[in-house]
Amino acid sequence: MDDRKMEDVLRVIELCRSVERSSANPFEVDIRDKIRILREKLPQWKFLDELLVDSEAMLELTQIVKLQDEWLKHRASSLYIDPLLVQLKVKLLSKDALVEAFVKSWHPIAQVDQLSPKGLERAFVYFRDLVPLSERFKDEFGSYGVRPGTVDYSELVELGVFTQQEFENRLKDLMLELTEKSGGDWVDYRAFVSARTFEDKVLRAYLLSFLISEGRASLKIDPLTGEIWTRALKERAQGTPRSVAISVTEGT
Amino acid sequence: MESEDRALLERKVRRAFQVLVLQRGRNPGVKGWEMKRHLGKDYRKIIEVLSEDVSSLGLEVHEVKGAEGTDDGSRFLLRFREPPTLSEAETSGIRIDDLAVLAAAIAFVNSKQGRAGRRETEHFLREKFPKWRVEYSLDRYLKRGYLEQDDMTLLRIGWRTRAEIDEKTLMTLILSRGADEVAPAQ
Repeated sequence: MDDRKMEDVLRVIELCRSVERSSANPFEVDIRDKIRILREKLPQWKFLDELLVDSEAMLELTQIVKLQDEWLKHRASSLYIDPLLVQLKVKLLSKDALVEAFVKSWHPIAQVDQLSPKGLERAFVYFRDLVPLSERFKDEFGSYGVRPGTVDYSELVELGVFTQQEFENRLKDLMLELTEKSGGDWVDYRAFVSARTFEDKVLRAYLLSFLISEGRASLKIDPLTGEIWTRALKERAQGTPRSVAISVTEGT
Repeated sequence: MESEDRALLERKVRRAFQVLVLQRGRNPGVKGWEMKRHLGKDYRKIIEVLSEDVSSLGLEVHEVKGAEGTDDGSRFLLRFREPPTLSEAETSGIRIDDLAVLAAAIAFVNSKQGRAGRRETEHFLREKFPKWRVEYSLDRYLKRGYLEQDDMTLLRIGWRTRAEIDEKTLMTLILSRGADEVAPAQ
């Protein structure tokens, strides 16, 4: 691939990414002009690599169009006020005035998170009737039952569930699948990990957790809706990782 | 209304209150489909009656629409009908200075069309608050769900702000403050 030939396309990609990464006005990207550039260059591309860069530029442009849509919606809402005016006001106001404005628009959630007497009774009955650990798995696994623990990658290799090569190939395949399905956008986590058998589903969730831990994919949870989304990342994520527990069950 | 119907309605309203007030899991509130399961398909009517009943206690049932906009996806929360007084807010354990940081951060993110870089937000807030407080408060409000941060370190308004804060009122109040409430020159 000749970088000089691709320079204009690479510049389009870089411009789009810089706008996505910042809070800059997405309308600063002249979509029509950039599409014209891509259209003019398209007949020159002969190799797969070149075509992939071209499609990447197109994808970045669609992200900008999406941001433009969000931008317009926000401006059309009653929340839109001249940014400079808001920033100037916030800078000039005293802390007390800011707090007063906040408190006057605040409706704290009212909730009880203490145990009720009924809940306490249920907990007592549960623990009273709980079979000791040593007895719990006797029926299923005999007297050598152990409680469920965590298995890491090296243990799986040792057990022969994976060879190192196989594991890396599977990770690569899953990453490719996620990149294709998400196309830079969020996809439903549960739909993505779903498979024909429960075993396959667990495996996909396990592999995806590796991609997320390595910063190659990202996870988003909306506590209000309970929805979980994932997407492939073009660049490794920076910042402090957080642990999230997601249960993988049979069926849904 | 027949006395039997009234008794049934009262039972359902009581059940709705119990379901809403007890926190289950990490997230506050109850989804529409859970309400339907507990109260039947006419759960919205029960919620209306409950919201009216708890108004005497200064509470209301608030609905936060889900991403897909369906009834089942909505989340119902019990929240203060009227905002608390400043002294009540102080007794909630949150420092007043931290609330000021949150108010300024929400106003800043909204002024940036709902997405602002973490760095530029910190830079903006540092003109008003000490550096350590800005970082500490932002992290704290990210954890509590008032703000969200994506992979590209862009800050957005979080689910808790959407549930608890009347953003339109906040922005209007900030803009309408007079010159007598401005911070003294440093």
